[in-house]
Amino acid sequence: MPCNIELRNICQSFQTNDTKVTLFEGLNLTISRGKSYAITGPSGAGKSSLLMLMSGLEEPTSGTGTYVNGEQTKPLPELRSDIGFIFQQFHLLPELTALNNVALPLKLRGDKNAVTKAKHWLEKVGLQHRFDHKPSQLSGGEQQRVAIARALVFEPKFIFADEPTGNLDQKSASEIADILFTCCQENNAGLVAVTHSEVLAERAQHRFSLAEGQLSTQETNILKVASC
Amino acid sequence: MLISNSKLAWHFYQQEFSSSHQRLLRWTQGILLLFIMTLGQTSQSIQAYLNDNLQSLLGADAVLSQSSALTIKQQKELAAITNTIVQTQDIKTTLTHNEHWQRTKLKAVDAQYPLQGQLFTSSSLNDNEVVTQSGPEQGHIWLDARLLAGLSINIGDTLKIANQAFLVARVLHHEPDRLMEGHNVDMRAMINTLDIKSLEFAPELIHYRYLIAGSVSQIKALITWQQENLPASQVHHKQGNHPLALFWKRTENFMGLASVLLFFMAAIAINQLTQVHIKKDQYFSAICMSLGATKSTGIQVSILKWLFGLLLIMPVIVTLSAISHWLIINWLNETFTEIVWQWRLTSMLHSVLAVTTIFAIFHAPVWLSLRNNSVAKLFSNNKQGLSHWLSKLSSLVVLSLVVISYSDNALLTLMMVAAIGFTIVVMILVSWSSLTIGEKLSQSFSGLIPFSLFMMKQRLISKSTQILGVGLCAFLLLFTLMLLKDLGNTMTSYQRQHDGNIIVSQATKPQMQFIENWANEHAIDIRQAKPYMYAKLVAVNSQTLAEFSSKPSDSMATFSHAIRLHWSEVVPKNNKVIDGQWWQNNTENWQQISVEEEVMTDLGLALGDWLTFFIGQQQVKLQIVASHVFQPGAGSITFWVQMPPTALAHIQSAHYSMASIELTQQQETLLPALWQKFPTLRMVSLKEVTERFDSMLAMITKVISGFSLMIIILASVVILASISALESQEKKKNSIIMSFGFTQVTCLKLNVIEWLVTASITAIGAILGTYFSGMLIYQSQFSLKYQPDFIWLSITLAIILSVVTGLGIYASRHSLQSSVKQLMSDT
Repeated sequence: MPCNIELRNICQSFQTNDTKVTLFEGLNLTISRGKSYAITGPSGAGKSSLLMLMSGLEEPTSGTGTYVNGEQTKPLPELRSDIGFIFQQFHLLPELTALNNVALPLKLRGDKNAVTKAKHWLEKVGLQHRFDHKPSQLSGGEQQRVAIARALVFEPKFIFADEPTGNLDQKSASEIADILFTCCQENNAGLVAVTHSEVLAERAQHRFSLAEGQLSTQETNILKVASC
Repeated sequence: MLISNSKLAWHFYQQEFSSSHQRLLRWTQGILLLFIMTLGQTSQSIQAYLNDNLQSLLGADAVLSQSSALTIKQQKELAAITNTIVQTQDIKTTLTHNEHWQRTKLKAVDAQYPLQGQLFTSSSLNDNEVVTQSGPEQGHIWLDARLLAGLSINIGDTLKIANQAFLVARVLHHEPDRLMEGHNVDMRAMINTLDIKSLEFAPELIHYRYLIAGSVSQIKALITWQQENLPASQVHHKQGNHPLALFWKRTENFMGLASVLLFFMAAIAINQLTQVHIKKDQYFSAICMSLGATKSTGIQVSILKWLFGLLLIMPVIVTLSAISHWLIINWLNETFTEIVWQWRLTSMLHSVLAVTTIFAIFHAPVWLSLRNNSVAKLFSNNKQGLSHWLSKLSSLVVLSLVVISYSDNALLTLMMVAAIGFTIVVMILVSWSSLTIGEKLSQSFSGLIPFSLFMMKQRLISKSTQILGVGLCAFLLLFTLMLLKDLGNTMTSYQRQHDGNIIVSQATKPQMQFIENWANEHAIDIRQAKPYMYAKLVAVNSQTLAEFSSKPSDSMATFSHAIRLHWSEVVPKNNKVIDGQWWQNNTENWQQISVEEEVMTDLGLALGDWLTFFIGQQQVKLQIVASHVFQPGAGSITFWVQMPPTALAHIQSAHYSMASIELTQQQETLLPALWQKFPTLRMVSLKEVTERFDSMLAMITKVISGFSLMIIILASVVILASISALESQEKKKNSIIMSFGFTQVTCLKLNVIEWLVTASITAIGAILGTYFSGMLIYQSQFSLKYQPDFIWLSITLAIILSVVTGLGIYASRHSLQSSVKQLMSDT
């Protein structure tokens, strides 16, 4: 059963004072569930905007974006309930423990086993000893692990990660990349990561570079498998 | 350096001018400044008026007044130490003419009257008033214009008092010695002093006043002489206090105490806003410091920015305060005639300085947080630590100081503070328990409500502050409105609940016997009749009253005059002993007394204290052995001070009675004859009582409405401030929820549920707090029986809370305008 995000002939531009700025145009891209993608490029090239378009959070200036799920084709905004996000700043709720942060999306969905599942996911990302710690008591790497667990706990079909290792040191970044790719693969979730990190980008199955309004494909190594 | 910092602060201030935290701070500061400034100006105007009044309306250099005439010896002694003495006599009487009657203050003057100042009269109602050199001739009576109208009598008619005829000769316009009557609005009549003897009023009912001319040193000698020889008499002189000074001081203190509630709410609002200010100023300071500026630059900029905010609202506040002051002075003209509006700069500066200091202490956490943090900590927005708690403690100390400085009624203050404390504890307990239990119980259910409870429980501390702020506002508003409604209801239903529709407040023994026979004869029901004698408290434990307690209070104001002393073998049915022990029947130890609980508290009395009373012409010492309180249901006539009947054998003084009588409408026509027989009988119909209540209610309504408006505005500011404080957290929470695949509608639903839960918790807290306050305060302070009308309470509360929820949701709209994009751009 195909499960894809398809962008066709997409153009994104915006107006600043009297100047029209075009981020990209004529862009075509297909993102499939279960695969990983990395988008690199210089600052201001429009990587995050592309991420917003793919996740249905923003409307393109022109072109079409569709969400194909089996035989159904829907507009991209209907993708919302099937996606999860991971941010550079982690964005955990400071007053909640690690466990409650992870349980949050499940509780919102009314899942009675929210806490059990959250524990399982925290164990998966190696934080079984940090259940009751608040974000302020965790390191940056640990906070991002909690954020990964929180993004995957409700089993979304796609994960969008915006600079997920941008705030971490090299060692932590490498660990986070391992966990992120492995967990997404095990969960059969499509992963789209916007990054400046070559190390992270190389782990993706598909790598794109966005520069001067054009999206180009780059060669990648084979996905490394780490414990998850 | 200061100039460049000022420029920087000004620039920073302008940038933040229209942001919500600055706007809310301006409102909070503005409302309080307006209130205190207006109160200060009004107070100064009244004190100045009273002082001018004292100089021009005493009608003498000093006035000595007491309830009996001076003996020949005393008159000689007085004459020896002063220049001139003029005697006047006052008696409260009821004048009747045909079917009309009017309660009147009848004054008898001798040929030397007036001593100082001018007496104005006219020969008819339409004539111009003229200066008259002396009082009425023998056989003449002068009436004031209202009395002429009230009795439907004309100049030249004959008026009978106790079967003696008087010619109504002139219209009385102005007496130069009216000051002593102060704010009383009794109708006035004047006769010659020779006539009062022939009217044969009971001597103990006549009040004697001696107008004295003398130098400052003579007046001092007079005071010394009075303290030694006539401790129960009162002396007012031009260098002393106005008789109304104490009354006004009490009013001012009451308003001041009310302002404590406003300060309390302002403290909550500023505390909420401080969180935003700390964040903004810390960030700004961190940037300055990272660019090489010193720590003090950040603090200076923050203080200057705060000062700019305060200075800029000042012109608006001064203008509004001047207008409010003008309106109040116009309104007070009814009580203090010829009072004029005048702006007092010193008073304004005094108010501004005091309030600014208080605001500075409330705002101090911001500056302390800048002082105690490093650049690294500033960036991470650290606000905890010792200084955080110190500043909270200092806010509490400031509030306590405001309470103490304005409090003149320790019991009321204690009760109000206890009620607020109780409400806070209830709301904390209800918040914690309802959210904990709610979360536990709803764990097995799915949906947004369990989720909201879970989130609120997790954010208990920040939510509790919000709940406390909103809840206290709801409580204060509800209590104020309830008091307004209940005072009105009580006054209107007084007629139905009261045991009798005619109150006899003072009847002599023969008068009471006559009333009993008269009641029997006409089948009139006497509901209650209790005896008493007048007693003036002069000392407590051998200290004079002034030495013993200098704080103005209700009790103190009443004890400056003679009070009614009752005697009873057993505890009256409408009293209850709450401390000590009532005396045995026929006790030989007659020097015992029971004092009402509030009087004990107000004056700081304790069981075992000895009170010295001046009764009749003798000093009597009585020891406090019990303390009693009023208990409703067995008649309303109660006394503050009671003694055993065996004491009567040792005290020579006139006995009077208080009574309540039930009269039908037809029987009311019997009253003029009763008054014709006994003009001095103090009797008031319930209709008159309710009319007095109505005018009092109208005044209270105006004051409480104005105060409620202030509370409503401040309550809105507190709600908005609490939302503003949590706005960034809320925004982030909503964005995160949306990143889980939910829409803004889900966030809105969660917001509505949170506000409903907040509103419900505050509702419980406010209702319980109001109930508790009612139980504590109603009976003791307003002599009302507290019977909470829960339907009314619930409806009012529902309205308040709908508005609160509506306002909360409306004000939270900014936090709903969040998106996942903001989380991405937040780097």
